[in-house]
Amino acid sequence: MNSPTRTPQTLVVLGVVFAGLALNFLLGSPNPSAPPRIPLVDTNFLDTSTVRRSYADLARAKEDLSDFDCYVCHEKGKAPTLRFDTNQNLIIPKEHADVVMGHGSHGRNNNCFNCHNETNLEFLQSRDGRQLKFSDSPQLCGSCHGPTYRDWEAGVHGRITGYWKRDLGEFQRKQCVNCHNPHSPRFPGRPPAPGPHPLHWNGTEAGESPAHPHS
Amino acid sequence: MNTSDPQPTMDRRSFLRTSAVLTTGLAALAASLKPLLEIKDLPTMEQFLQKYYKELTPAEMAKVLNRIADEVEKEYGLRPHVRDLKPMDGVEYVYCLNLTRCIGCRKCVHACVAENNQSRNPEIQYIRVLRLPHGSLDIEKAEHNYHPESVPEKGFFYMPVQCQQCKNPPCVKVCPVHATWQEKDGITVIDYDWCIGCRYCEAACPYWARRFNFTKPGIPKERLNPEMSYLGNRPRRQGVMEKCHFCIQRTRAGRYPACLEVCPAGARKFGNILDPNSEVSYILKNKRVFIQLKEEMGTSPRFFYYFDV
Ligand code: HEC
Ligand code: HEC
Ligand code: HEC
Ligand code: HEC
Repeated sequence: MNSPTRTPQTLVVLGVVFAGLALNFLLGSPNPSAPPRIPLVDTNFLDTSTVRRSYADLARAKEDLSDFDCYVCHEKGKAPTLRFDTNQNLIIPKEHADVVMGHGSHGRNNNCFNCHNETNLEFLQSRDGRQLKFSDSPQLCGSCHGPTYRDWEAGVHGRITGYWKRDLGEFQRKQCVNCHNPHSPRFPGRPPAPGPHPLHWNGTEAGESPAHPHS
Repeated sequence: MNTSDPQPTMDRRSFLRTSAVLTTGLAALAASLKPLLEIKDLPTMEQFLQKYYKELTPAEMAKVLNRIADEVEKEYGLRPHVRDLKPMDGVEYVYCLNLTRCIGCRKCVHACVAENNQSRNPEIQYIRVLRLPHGSLDIEKAEHNYHPESVPEKGFFYMPVQCQQCKNPPCVKVCPVHATWQEKDGITVIDYDWCIGCRYCEAACPYWARRFNFTKPGIPKERLNPEMSYLGNRPRRQGVMEKCHFCIQRTRAGRYPACLEVCPAGARKFGNILDPNSEVSYILKNKRVFIQLKEEMGTSPRFFYYFDV
C-alpha cells in the first residue's frame, strides 16, 4: 500500500487469479455430482395382490363366474365319467383344458372326485365327507393337509394382511387357492424384481461383495 | 465524476483501473463460490436449534411436525400427514422369516423403498436378499447379485437381511450424540435431526443394516408416501443415517409392515411377542429350527429366521 504503483499491480494479479478460478468453476466442472441414472422400479413389483384369485374373490368383486357354472354343460344328477389312458393317466377333456392336473409328486391327487362332489358338481367334498361351497375351499385342503391348515388358521402359513392389532382395524386372511392352484398346487416361479443397482451399492462402485461392505 | 471534485484523491485513470479490477475480482469470487449453491440440504435455523427428541414437549413436537410438513410440501408439492407415533403399552415386536417359503423375488425390497421414502437415486435399500446354496448357512459366501429369469432357482434358498432390531444393539452404544436408541417396543430408531453422520453405527452393525445419505436423497414426487412419522419414513437429509424401523408409521398404528404385505409367498411374519395369540408367538412355540444371525456376537436379534418342515 505504501507504493502508489504496487497497489494496481497487485490488484491486476489478483484479478487474473480470480478470473481464472471463476472460469474454472463455471466451465471446468459444470455439475460434479450428477448422479447416475437408475430406472424406477416397475410398479408391478409393489403390487400386494396374491398370485391367483379365488372363487371367493371373484364372487366378492361380482366378476364372471361362468367357469363355476358346471350345469351349463353337465347334466344334473349324472356324474361325469373319468377316462384314463393306457398308463392310468387321467384324460382331461378339451372343455377343461385350463385344468392342468399335477397335485403331488406322480400326480398322487389327480382324481377330480377327491375334491369335487360327484353328484353335485357345484360343491366340493372334503376327505372326511363334508360338502363345501367353493368359497370354503380351505377346509377342503385342510382335510388332507392338517398341519398346514393349523398353521394357516394361526396366520403362520399363507398370509394375513391389514391390522396386526385387531382392535384398531380389519385384517384379511388369504385362502390356499390365492397362492396354490388347487389342480397343480406347486407355487409358481416368477421373475425377480431388480437387484441392487451396480452403480449404487451403498455409495460405492460395482462388484463389491455384500459380505464385506466395510473392507 | 471526479472532474467536479476539486481535490481528487485518485486520478481518473487509476480509479477506473482499480474499479475494473475490483469488479472482475468480486465477480470472479462470486463465481468461485458457486459450488456452495449446490449444497441444497442445509438444515434450517429452526431445525438447527431444535431440542433433543426426548425433551420435546407435545406442543413443541407439534410445531416440529408442522415444520416438517411445510418443508415436505415446499419440496414435493404435497402436504404429508406427519405423526410422532409412540410405542404401545404391552407390545414388543418380533419378526419371523420362513426360509423354506421365501422365493427370493425381492418384492419386499422395493415395497420397503416405496413405503419408507428411500432415495431412488442414489439407491438406498434397507433389505438385502442373499442367495445361498442349499445346505449352507455361510452368509459370508452369499450372493445378492442374482438375475435369473425366474425365482426360486434350483439348489438355492434366499435370506432377506435387514435391521435385526437387536435387544443389545451395538449401533446404539457407539453413537456419540445419542441420535439412535432403542424404544420400549424394541424398535431401534434414529432421530434424523440429531444425527451428525459420523457413521460409527454403520461400522458397528454386524448386519450391514445401516445406510448413509451421501447426497440429498432423490425421491420422485409421484412416488412420495405422504403418510409419515418423525422417527420413521419422513424424507431424510444429506449426511444422516437411516435403516429399517419395522415401518414404525404403520406398525405403531396397528398395521403390518410393508415388506410383509407384499410378500407373495407369505414368508414374513410380524407381531407382538407379548401377545400369546400372535403369529410370532405361535411360531416361536411350534416351530423347531431357528437362526438368529451372528447370535454369537451377543446382539440378541428380534429377527428370527426359521425353516419349516
Ligand atoms: C364348457 C362346458 C363345461 C363346463 C362349464 C363344465 N364342464 Fe366338466 N366337462 C365338460 C365336458 C364336455 C366333459 C367331458 C364329458 C363328460 O365326461 O361329461 C367334462 C368332464 C368333467 C369331468 C370329468 C373329467 C375327466 O377327466 O374325465 C369332471 C370331474 C368335470 N367335468 C367337472 C366339472 C365341474 C366341477 C364343473 C364346474 C366347476 C364343470 N365340470 C364345468 C364340460 C364342461
Ligand atoms: C384328497 C387329499 C388332498 C386334498 C383335498 C388336497 N391335497 Fe394337496 N396334496 C395331497 C397329496 C397326497 C399331496 C402329495 C404329497 C406328497 O407327494 O408328498 C399333496 C401335495 C400338495 C402340495 C405340495 C406340492 C405338490 O404338488 O407336491 C400343495 C402345495 C398342496 N397339496 C396344496 C393343496 C391345496 C391348496 C389344497 C386345497 C385346494 C389341497 N392341497 C387339497 C392331497 C390332498
Ligand atoms: C385338490 C382338490 C381338487 C382336485 C383333485 C380337482 N379340483 Fe377342480 N377345483 C378345486 C377347487 C378348490 C376349486 C375352486 C378353486 C377356486 O376357488 O378358485 C376347483 C375348481 C374347478 C373348476 C372351476 C374353475 C376352473 O379352474 O376352471 C373346474 C372346472 C374344475 N375344478 C374341474 C376339475 C376337474 C375336471 C378335475 C379332475 C381332472 C379337478 N377339478 C380336480 C379342487 C380340486
Ligand atoms: C400367501 C400364499 C400362500 C397361502 C395363502 C397358502 N400357501 Fe401353501 N405354500 C405357499 C408357498 C410359497 C409354499 C412353498 C412353495 C412350494 O412348496 O410350493 C407353500 C407350500 C405348501 C405346501 C407344501 C408343503 C410345505 O409346507 O412346504 C402345502 C401342502 C401347502 N402349502 C398347503 C397350503 C394350504 C392347505 C393352504 C391353505 C390352508 C395354503 N397352503 C395357503 C404359499 C401359500
